[in-house]
Amino acid sequence: MSETGQNLPALEKGNNVADIRAVETSQFVTFYFGKHFFGLPIDEVIEINKALDITPVPLAPGYVSGVINLRGQILTAIDLATRIGLNSSGDDHGTDSLNNVIMGNREEPVSLLVERIGDVMSIPLEKIESVPDMIHGIETKYVSQVCKLDDQLLIILDSNALEELDDRKRPSS
Amino acid sequence: MGMEDDILKDFLAESKENLELLDQQFVELEQEPENEDLIKSIFRTIHTIKGTSGFFGFTTLEGIAHFAEDILSKLRDGLVQVNEEITTVLLQSVDYIKAILAELENTGQEPVDTEYLDFIVDLRNFSEKITKNVSAVNTHDKQPETAEDTEEAGSAKSAGEETSEKAAAEAQAAQEQEKAEKAQDSKAADKDVKEASGQVSRPEPKAATPRVKKKGAKVHSAHLTETHVRIDVHLLDQLMTLAGELVLSRNRMTQLASKLNDPDFATANQRMSLVVTELQEQIMKTRMQPIGNVFNKFPRIVRDLAKTASKKVQLKIVGAETELDRSIIESIKDPLTHMVRNSIDHGIEAPDIRLQSEKPPVGNLTMKAYHEGGQVIIEITDDGAGIDPDKLRAKAVEKGIISEEQARALSNREALMLIFQPGFSTAEKVTNISGRGVGMDVVKTNIEKLGGTVELESSIGVGTTVKIKIPLTLAIIPALIVNSAGQRYAIPQVNLVELVHLNPKSAKKDVQIIGNSEFYRLRGEILPLIRLRKALAIEEAEEEPQGSEGMNIVVLNAGGRLFGLVVDSISDSEEIVVKPLGSHLKNIPIFAGTTLMGDGRVALILDIVGITSSISSSGDDSMKQASGSMGAGREEEHQFLLLCSVGPEEFFALPLALVNRLDKIKASDLEFVGGKEVIQYRGHSMPVIRLENYLPVSPLPEQDEYHLIVFHMNDKDVAFMVSQIEDSLDLTIDVEEGIFKQEGILGSAIVKDRTTLFLDVYQIITMHDPDFFVMEHLAADEPARILLAEDSTFYRNMLTSYLGAAGYEVVEAEDGERAWNIFQNETVDLVVTDIEMPRMDGFELTRKIRSQNADIPIIAVTSLSGEENRQKGIEAGVNDYQAKLDRDQVLYAVSSLLHKRSMENAA
Repeated sequence: MSETGQNLPALEKGNNVADIRAVETSQFVTFYFGKHFFGLPIDEVIEINKALDITPVPLAPGYVSGVINLRGQILTAIDLATRIGLNSSGDDHGTDSLNNVIMGNREEPVSLLVERIGDVMSIPLEKIESVPDMIHGIETKYVSQVCKLDDQLLIILDSNALEELDDRKRPSS
Repeated sequence: MGMEDDILKDFLAESKENLELLDQQFVELEQEPENEDLIKSIFRTIHTIKGTSGFFGFTTLEGIAHFAEDILSKLRDGLVQVNEEITTVLLQSVDYIKAILAELENTGQEPVDTEYLDFIVDLRNFSEKITKNVSAVNTHDKQPETAEDTEEAGSAKSAGEETSEKAAAEAQAAQEQEKAEKAQDSKAADKDVKEASGQVSRPEPKAATPRVKKKGAKVHSAHLTETHVRIDVHLLDQLMTLAGELVLSRNRMTQLASKLNDPDFATANQRMSLVVTELQEQIMKTRMQPIGNVFNKFPRIVRDLAKTASKKVQLKIVGAETELDRSIIESIKDPLTHMVRNSIDHGIEAPDIRLQSEKPPVGNLTMKAYHEGGQVIIEITDDGAGIDPDKLRAKAVEKGIISEEQARALSNREALMLIFQPGFSTAEKVTNISGRGVGMDVVKTNIEKLGGTVELESSIGVGTTVKIKIPLTLAIIPALIVNSAGQRYAIPQVNLVELVHLNPKSAKKDVQIIGNSEFYRLRGEILPLIRLRKALAIEEAEEEPQGSEGMNIVVLNAGGRLFGLVVDSISDSEEIVVKPLGSHLKNIPIFAGTTLMGDGRVALILDIVGITSSISSSGDDSMKQASGSMGAGREEEHQFLLLCSVGPEEFFALPLALVNRLDKIKASDLEFVGGKEVIQYRGHSMPVIRLENYLPVSPLPEQDEYHLIVFHMNDKDVAFMVSQIEDSLDLTIDVEEGIFKQEGILGSAIVKDRTTLFLDVYQIITMHDPDFFVMEHLAADEPARILLAEDSTFYRNMLTSYLGAAGYEVVEAEDGERAWNIFQNETVDLVVTDIEMPRMDGFELTRKIRSQNADIPIIAVTSLSGEENRQKGIEAGVNDYQAKLDRDQVLYAVSSLLHKRSMENAA
């Protein structure tokens, strides 16, 4: 998986329509965190950005790494690992070097911090499955679907769940 | 007149636009004479012009518009058909209207030119003619004659007109046909013609169809210049955002310029900086609107409300031209409406009740707006019944908002603020005007959302004033940038009072740690300190810079209450652009928003009120004793108290403001000199007092170390020695006397579930050393009687104690009314009065006393001095104004005033 998928917004979902031959497919922006492989439907992603300066916000919920400045717009940066409960590898990753996947509605987009950006993948709809009861180390409420690829599992995230306000008590730190 | 000017501007701008449209519409109308919508639209435009010009008293304009409307109404009602002749006349009217508007714009006056008056006459004739045509179904060739008749009729109708010859019955008949509407209109017409005739010599009878005259051509050439355009609000908002970005880039440039140190670049940058500032101001102005846009809706609202409530209310609007940001104007309308409703519904009394209380039957309601210190102040004042704090207390208890104890603990001012509590309604019965008593809390929340504050002042029988302070704009604000734990934070300049830097030595010396809180003594006032790191919950893992670099304190005003925010370092002050926080972060109370710094990074804007409330609510439970429920408020009877203990069981409290320093000493340092215990302290020997020597309490147990509470009074140091400093509390002092009534004790109260004795520091020191407070500079006191009005038992006992100790005879009164009674029946030499008291406050007491006796010295005392109160006190007639706790100053004031008076009497 190379990092060729950087210029994503240029790809229109419409391309798909011309592509319909035998199978219908969906396109996903993919990215990695630790050993996990994630995807988001391409039309829920606004843009992808390399590491941006993050200003930490004290007293913020634990999954919020801080705020970033995206061309004058101030976005909340959500740490994917902390958000979905990937705590095992979470301790030593510095948030500063993480890439930003800007997603969500245009009124108030948020930035999802991920370790490495992958390709845009076209996946046949028939290969997409519903969420299993348990995925190791991940809270399944943030997962909308999964797809078994040859070598690994693509976890398709639910952007609404990721963006949703969390009422959990903030960690003491 | 500012408001009228603005209306005139709006009127001109709007009319011009509409008139441009009219030209086109008339032409269209010729094409499709049946188009009703078109006629209606034209009619409306002309009608508006007529109405507004009538409002301003532009009679010529009104006249032209009136007759044009007359003609149009016939077209509208289908009485006549549009023909070229009518269109021509109407277009001419439009031209004349335009010419008048142009003149109005240039000079603010209607043009004085007979030509316009001629035209009015022509127009009127034409209108009459049409009417006649309609009624008599006249043939074309009869027309000229008729016209002449009506012309005369029209002229004759106006009473004062010199040209009047005979009344034409014909014209009257025609007018009668038009009935009610017409009757009114003709009155206006008469007025116009009369006006016209004042300047015009008898107009020559003209041909029935007015022609465009040569002179007219000149008038028409004065075409209207465009001075106003309509712009999409979103465009303005976008401009504002861009201006914000520009300000940020400018900030960055300025930083770079100072780094590069290139004089040319610096000059260029400075120039650009100026332009950017100017640009930003101008763009900001595009969003500014006069508050009159909201205010002018109120005459109607007030009228309707007053009518529904069967009250008579006169509304006075002041400062309608005050400008503020459009977005703010929109959001204050509802809160204002609500408050006006409340004033009419609950404030202003019914006319008969007003008469009984010797007020004019018509209530006055004033809405006033003005700028003050970068903020806009809006005051809504009524001269109604005022709000009775006791009623509010009772109501709040009844509604279960607060407990009875809490209610009693509230000062009058706090009690007034109860009305902003959710679920509170003061009306005895809920009416349909003020709704169901949801409201005032919403009002407060809405105003606070805008970064504003609401204050309420009321005196029973006199009226109520609600004062709203709101920022001019929310978009760009000046702010101070501070650093804490490596991050920058912005503090809105409005909250900023001053900056204090303490060097390491004084930081150690002057900052007192009591319980979990820190305090700094700023020019004699105790300033609670909040560490920003602590407020931000940043762990103190890193070395605090305090040790080496001292301490930076940003003194802030949070809703009237001062506190010091301790930060790592202070950067610069900058204009910042306020951007909202995302929804995930909105609920953090200590942040008001975010902003971008010059280097493109984000900084958080601190919410000062949020910081204080988050600290006090997350603070200790001890606060619950205090009436903290009411939030901030620099209240009279609030005091920071120091709690200390002797042995495991004896707890004492004393006002922190009296304390100069807290210290620890080793038992071995104590010395006995002349039968008294002293200690070497800062180069002097300082007497140390054990409480058990003067109070019936258990003795201080043997300890290796003792705590000292050091007082500095009358230029001398003295200390109390105790086992432990327990804590410090901010609470409303509400002591009970009685059980522990005795020398040295002011009373007792339950603090933190323990019975705590309130020490009379002055008394105890005097018991220890009767000469301690003897001042050389004061002449021996002549015996004098002092009337003391003070509602708080604690302070009354304290004042009595030290005034008594100084040799005065003190007559106590629990409130202003009691004091007034005593004053009338007994002789006193001087009055000492508290400001805030139930039933009759200190100001009123002073006014009453002054009405009888201009000479008696009056000293107002308060727990905290404020310039506003001082001013008010002086206006009421007090001679001096002192802090209650400052014994030396109070005594000095008493003595010097008495002295002065006896000198005067002797003279």
